[in-house]
Amino acid sequence: MISSLRRLGVAVAFLAAPFSALGSADSDTSTPRDIWHGAIAQQYAELSHASERLEASATRFCQAPDESLKQRLESDWLGAYQAWQAVRFVQFGPIEQNSRGWQLQFWPDRKNLVGSKVEGWLRADTTPTAEDIASDSVAIQGFPAIEYLLYDDAMSDRPLGEPAMCGLLQAISTHLVDTSSALERDWQAFDMHYRDTPRYTETTLANAIQAIETLEQKRLGEPMGLQGAPANRYLAEAWRSGNSIRLVESTLEGLRTGFLPGLSTLLREADAVPLAETFRDQLDKTLAKASDLPSGLTTSLDDQAFRDLQSLYLNIGQLNYLLGTEIAAELGLVRGFNSSDGD
Amino acid sequence: MQRRQVLKAGLGSVLMALTPLSWAVPGRENADWLFSAVDDLDGKHYIAGVALDGKSRLMIEVPERCHGGCLRPSSHQAVLFARRPGTRMHVIDGDSRQLAHTIAAGEGYHFYGHGVFDLNGRYLYVTANRLEDSAGLVRVYDAANDYAHVRDMSLDGIGPHELRLMPDGDTLVIGLGGIQTHPDYGRVKLNLDTMAPALMLMNRHSGEVVARHAPSHHQLSCRHLDVAADGTVIAGYQFEGPEWESYPLICRLDAGGDFSELALPDEVTTSLRHYTASVAFSRVSATVLVTAPRGNRVLLLDAEQGRLNANLELPDAAGARCDGSGGFLVSSGQGGLYRVTPDTAVPELLASQEFRWDNHLT
Repeated sequence: MISSLRRLGVAVAFLAAPFSALGSADSDTSTPRDIWHGAIAQQYAELSHASERLEASATRFCQAPDESLKQRLESDWLGAYQAWQAVRFVQFGPIEQNSRGWQLQFWPDRKNLVGSKVEGWLRADTTPTAEDIASDSVAIQGFPAIEYLLYDDAMSDRPLGEPAMCGLLQAISTHLVDTSSALERDWQAFDMHYRDTPRYTETTLANAIQAIETLEQKRLGEPMGLQGAPANRYLAEAWRSGNSIRLVESTLEGLRTGFLPGLSTLLREADAVPLAETFRDQLDKTLAKASDLPSGLTTSLDDQAFRDLQSLYLNIGQLNYLLGTEIAAELGLVRGFNSSDGD
Repeated sequence: MQRRQVLKAGLGSVLMALTPLSWAVPGRENADWLFSAVDDLDGKHYIAGVALDGKSRLMIEVPERCHGGCLRPSSHQAVLFARRPGTRMHVIDGDSRQLAHTIAAGEGYHFYGHGVFDLNGRYLYVTANRLEDSAGLVRVYDAANDYAHVRDMSLDGIGPHELRLMPDGDTLVIGLGGIQTHPDYGRVKLNLDTMAPALMLMNRHSGEVVARHAPSHHQLSCRHLDVAADGTVIAGYQFEGPEWESYPLICRLDAGGDFSELALPDEVTTSLRHYTASVAFSRVSATVLVTAPRGNRVLLLDAEQGRLNANLELPDAAGARCDGSGGFLVSSGQGGLYRVTPDTAVPELLASQEFRWDNHLT
């Protein structure tokens, strides 16, 4: 425990260090996987804490529903959803257990299963418990289901404070706490295995590449109509609350804090510091673009906001090229076909 | 036809520029072609056929990624199956080198990517999912009647995957993966905590389940298998539990019906990364080959002794089948086609293609 805290301390110091300080004694003794493990542990801890805030906020609202508590609830829902986006690039290890990633966020949802599941529970005779939610479908278990309760048009004439709505809201938020606290705990337990197993360097890189590809093609490209099919705003994440771009921004921030430090060390070991700097600069530039954009994703071609979105899309494409092509080639990373998506 | 489809694939210049394949496979009578599901580098899906004399090939574009296939005895047909949760199977006519039929799984059903014929090539047995109750089925089709659906046989379980015909001609051996999926949820695994996988035997006439063997852990998904001439079955698992734990990944049902799991050295099991893809017996000896694309490994085992004979590196090792003379052909998701024999230390690269071979060779 002490040693893992010390490692966390190293990671914190490292995260705050500018590139010029990369040659410090701390970073010399930390391998890329040490750094990644510590940074990701912090991200899972933040997800767990943010989920607890969401649950507490739901409880407070349901005890005495009012507008200010509702706004607080919405804000805590978005905060926890964003904390998930930050660490979403990690698709190996404890997140794979029991399809936890899908539990947190079932997306894309082309058949509105989230809506069907929520409506089904609202019609039910009994109020669900967190255990009921845990044994039901992934479509009811995560952030999108709460978003439906908070923002969907179908909910506009149902007060959120009514017992069926609140009961479901609290059961889902408690399940989110259960999932995210288990993730935090299991990631700590995964520590030794992750740091002692060299192939996780490749896995972590491949996961970050996959995350950026998904950002480009699925999270932006498809809803914007840039992947060969017409634009469709309902393919965007968090379209009900209009927070699609805030989620994209959080993923970019998560790569900045959770992935970049370990990558930088890896590239320094490979004597490729300029590549690390180019990637960092492109990530910063892309993040700044995302921060400047409105929170929702527009599909209106006449809109200035759409042109700004296209610019973000192109910047993410450049990020994808840098990591998936240039850095992958530098590090000798070859992505599999059956090895990444077999059957 | 062939040229048009190759050009349509956008691969024309690449494929046409390849020199003719300079390899040939002896001893595989009645099977002049090698078939596999492939994806091109843009992610489009095809069924590829490669003539074993190395002189010609075909590419047929299909709407879904395909997976496994089987040859129809006493014919020149091959059938390839859409990958879970796909809904089509495609019959390829080897003489005309064209798609002869496409058969839909039917409303409310999807396939798992594998099928097998009876010995005379009349009935085709295909693993499938009935969506309304997630029932794992063997669906039976009559190839002599334009592949009309004949009946369904229930496995009393979820997620059947590869199946083969036992040497008696009457019994099917089936890998029951145990994983529940639904097309509405894409490839999300819906029941990882309650899986009940098995290696099963079923009478193909009556549908009676005559044996059901459970792996040593409920998250060991039994997927792919092959049968030796004496009836020995080797099957490969994929472990769906924590990646920091380690369990046996290969099991055996011997000719006497005894079920066991092969105890390989821990470092070998670990190197497979919880995932096996294809299993293929050599047919001329007790040697069986298992591919492990995540671990980039190919294992050669003595199925009788349960002993590991070789552990070779092969990147994204995927499809495998015997070459008829004691060796094996192995495809790689990175495009290579290799020959592996029991006495060579390094897989021999036979050809390199500008596409990604899926997990199985037919």
